[in-house]
Amino acid sequence: MEAIIPKVPEVLVALASFVVLFVLLSKLAFPPVTKMLDERAEKIRESLEKAEETRVEAERLLEEYRVQMAEARTEAAKVIEQGRTVAENMKNEIVAKAREEADAEKAKAIEAIQAEKAAAMSELQASVADLSVAVAGKIIGQKLTASDHAALIERSIAEVGSLNEN
Amino acid sequence: MENMGHMVEELLHELSVLPLFSEHIGTFTLTNYTFFLLIALALTIVFFLVSTRRLSLVPKGLGNVVEAGVSFVRDGLCVDILGSENGRKYFPFIGTIFFFVLFNNLLGLIPGSLPGTGTIGVTVTWGIVVFLVYNGIGIKKNGPLTYIKSFVPSGTPLLLMPLIFLLEIVSHFLRPITLGIRLYANMYAGHIMLGIFTILVTISLEHLSPGSAVTGVLAFVMRVIMHGFEVFVAVLQAYIFSILTTVYINGALHASEH
Repeated sequence: MEAIIPKVPEVLVALASFVVLFVLLSKLAFPPVTKMLDERAEKIRESLEKAEETRVEAERLLEEYRVQMAEARTEAAKVIEQGRTVAENMKNEIVAKAREEADAEKAKAIEAIQAEKAAAMSELQASVADLSVAVAGKIIGQKLTASDHAALIERSIAEVGSLNEN
Repeated sequence: MENMGHMVEELLHELSVLPLFSEHIGTFTLTNYTFFLLIALALTIVFFLVSTRRLSLVPKGLGNVVEAGVSFVRDGLCVDILGSENGRKYFPFIGTIFFFVLFNNLLGLIPGSLPGTGTIGVTVTWGIVVFLVYNGIGIKKNGPLTYIKSFVPSGTPLLLMPLIFLLEIVSHFLRPITLGIRLYANMYAGHIMLGIFTILVTISLEHLSPGSAVTGVLAFVMRVIMHGFEVFVAVLQAYIFSILTTVYINGALHASEH
């Protein structure tokens, strides 16, 4: 029974020590700790807000870069396509021009060949006529008159012409 | 067995309130419990003064410990129950209770020492302090008449009002006693348990035989387990004393809503 009856000195010491501790802790110990806790909480809150802002900004930049990249790709594709078209046109032009030039060269060559042929034919006709007269003269052993010559030449030319036609 | 009875009697005598430097207990006599209470007071002050000098934005060491403790009581107890404004306002009082009870409880676990909270004179005194403070807060916040009226919940039949009022008054006056006895009984009983197991180990060693060796080993293992359990009880009782104080303050603050 004695054990559960509070003793006066214990009550006094308990009361005094509690008051002393309360005053010391509430004036000296708790304020810096709670201040530090609040400061840290504020700092963490600020950091989180900043991190969130940075994340949003990064996402915005990423989206911007994606759009820019897509635009650049489209642009590049367009440029490539344009280049291809220009090259195709140039190729066609060059080929057409080359063909034209080749055709012109060919026509010119044919023309020259025709002229050469005509000249050769004329020369040949003259040579054949002279040769024919000489050969005929020798064969018949007599001199031909001018009118004979002319008739003979005419006939030879006619024959050579018919040969040429064949 | 006779020896054990003698040792238990000796243990109970050691755990009773004894004058430290005199024959009898006078008004200002230092007792075995108040001696350790003052040591706990000194340790609490030194701990806080040293640890608060090492505070930094990135906490470490002792600063980390004190911050964790303060944060636990302020945010996990006061703010949670009383709300942000009242929680911060009454934290110094509740924090003082928590840390002082905790330091006293833990000091008692060092072999050879006693917990300042192991005597009813100390614990009931603190219970009375809590009683005066929470009733003071209730009267200041609501006015004396509203506060007294709040003892009878609204809607109580007229005939039952005196009985309810009386019951409420009795329950309020029992609060400091229950607060004090709960803490004292837990600390006192814990020390008796530890003492009993220590006695068992001692007797087993004194009368060494195969049988007593087994008892001794078992008693030693139990002694170690109980010591760990007492650390848990020390923290738990500090928490219970503080949370009940907070709940009483909360009730007093919101008395007009009853």
